[in-house]
Amino acid sequence: MSTEQNGPTRFRLLDRLEETIIGTLIAAATLIIFVSVLHRYGLSSLGQLVGWSKAQGYIGLSDAARWLFSILNAIRLTWAQELCIYLFVWMAKFGAAYGVRTGIHVGVDILINQLPDGLRHKTIVFGLLCGAFFTAFVGWLGARLVVHLAHYGQTSAVLEAPMWLVYLCLPLGSFLMCFRFLQVAWHFHKTGELPHYNAAHVSGIDTPANGGAR
Amino acid sequence: MTVALIFGLLILLMLTGMPVSIALGLTVLTVLFTITEVPLDAVALKLFTGMEKFEIMAVPFFILAGGFLTHGGVAARMIRFATAMVGHWPGGLGIAAVLACAIFAAVSGSSPATVVAIGSILMPAMVAQGYPPKYGAGVVASAGALGILIPPSIVMVLYSVATSGMSAKGPDGQRVSAASIDDLFMAGVIPGLTLATLLGLVTWYIARKNGYPRAQRASWSEAFAALADSFWGLALIAVVMGGIYGGLVTPTEAAAVSAVYAFGVAMFIYRDIGWKDVPGVLIDSANMSAMLLYIITNAMLFSFLLTHEQIPQSIADWIVAQGFNWISFLIVVNIVLLIAGTFMEPASITLILAPILFPVAAKLGIDPVHFGIIMVVNMEIGMITPPVGLNLYVASGIAKLGLTEMSKAVTPWLLTMLGFLVLVTYWPSLSLWLPRTLGLM
Repeated sequence: MSTEQNGPTRFRLLDRLEETIIGTLIAAATLIIFVSVLHRYGLSSLGQLVGWSKAQGYIGLSDAARWLFSILNAIRLTWAQELCIYLFVWMAKFGAAYGVRTGIHVGVDILINQLPDGLRHKTIVFGLLCGAFFTAFVGWLGARLVVHLAHYGQTSAVLEAPMWLVYLCLPLGSFLMCFRFLQVAWHFHKTGELPHYNAAHVSGIDTPANGGAR
Repeated sequence: MTVALIFGLLILLMLTGMPVSIALGLTVLTVLFTITEVPLDAVALKLFTGMEKFEIMAVPFFILAGGFLTHGGVAARMIRFATAMVGHWPGGLGIAAVLACAIFAAVSGSSPATVVAIGSILMPAMVAQGYPPKYGAGVVASAGALGILIPPSIVMVLYSVATSGMSAKGPDGQRVSAASIDDLFMAGVIPGLTLATLLGLVTWYIARKNGYPRAQRASWSEAFAALADSFWGLALIAVVMGGIYGGLVTPTEAAAVSAVYAFGVAMFIYRDIGWKDVPGVLIDSANMSAMLLYIITNAMLFSFLLTHEQIPQSIADWIVAQGFNWISFLIVVNIVLLIAGTFMEPASITLILAPILFPVAAKLGIDPVHFGIIMVVNMEIGMITPPVGLNLYVASGIAKLGLTEMSKAVTPWLLTMLGFLVLVTYWPSLSLWLPRTLGLM
């Protein structure tokens, strides 16, 4: 992994949970779309196989293909796209919080790096607090939306999942992100260290430059 | 007035070094509570539903695919293949570096990772063979930027997503729809190959002039073995392009399939990674994806605000009223993008500026696909221009060169890219011929 964990470690359980959630969600979304593509492709090839084997007079093969086709056809994967989107919405919200901890949310730091130390320190803390403020506000908006949706009992188009549950990640993720901003700001204030994400990390390479670049 | 206020605030917030996504979000909030009359709930809904498009999901899938193949073992295979093909030409290792960078960058999707992966193997090898360190560092830093022009390209997905659904009007008032991911990928092929060739030519010319060493010609069996070994990684591009243009899958589905394919190759064919490495790759890809999705969400909110205030439209009208035509407008666009590219990264620039520039370009009769390719080439150049060209930093770390020396080292290739930018800008057919011939647009 290309992240240097130099933040406070007092919330190990929360950290693990965050990582497990985002890792599982991206894997699940990938598998779902992959399987739905295989499913669709399998159906169309089986359909062709039925027609071909019938024309050739291979009755046994034709029947077997038709039997497989009917089984596959009974499985409906029309919900795959919708589920994939919702999995990614959840991943995005919790991943954004995780990203604050790993320092992946980069900004334009060319100007502040020219500032004298004291002013630079204050500007960075200001930026982090702005992040905390924005995410807290968005979390509040999200909470309002969830309450509203729960009240009206709206459900999603295909899966018919309750929308308040789908959007529960908005307040949860946003408040978690707010907490991460405050955590990083506090840590920076105490130690002067910011989490640093190394975009140029490549595994399987043994060189002093790898991981130390920039 | 509103325009100046919105952009002034955005730039001010960005200069404090806060994340670009937060700066965008705060700008929208501030404007919302002071100037405009957009209802808060409309904004909230936009903020929460802006991401719910299946096209956007191509971004995490492509990042995951790249994550599995961003490995030193894959880089070594690409280098072996490239050296076997072109190593015996003058400046052989340099040209091999261009080729290996182009392939690895397309597959991994990350420019800085390409510079590290290819550079940390090839740069010491080049120095050992008697090439000056600056030469190797310059080649790798420049060619590492090739990835975002050669499909699959995440920046192209972002451009398509950022402009989709915008109501742009052409010169005669007809509706112009945004560029699709399919069109952009196909449009990038010829410019990508052309730029790789041009960079290779410069590399060859410098090497021949200075009498740099060449490697021995690889035997046919060696060349074939190298090709067979790197084939599986290369085939990722074919899986994506074949899937999309064979009509089998949508770009997002192609991305998901390529992620599973990349996992299979890395795990069972190359065996570069084991099961214990998988959670790390997943979490890291999720981290990167979530960061981009967060910028996308906030950039969409920002562009919603601009559209609501009819700012892109009024900028378009103003530019037309000033007597700009497409030729002079594109000069301005290139300058703006090059400047932006020197201190911001490609994703943010594309997401912020594409929705603003696209309606103007449409009004002046510039093809959306062509315009996308112009933006991408600008982003590539931004990777190797100081002060914030990420490739420069990474390469200078490997080559142990200062940033100033490094900036000088890339000069021949940087000038080539600038020349190529002019070519791409004023020769639309270079980008549009292939997708048009294939009947895509």
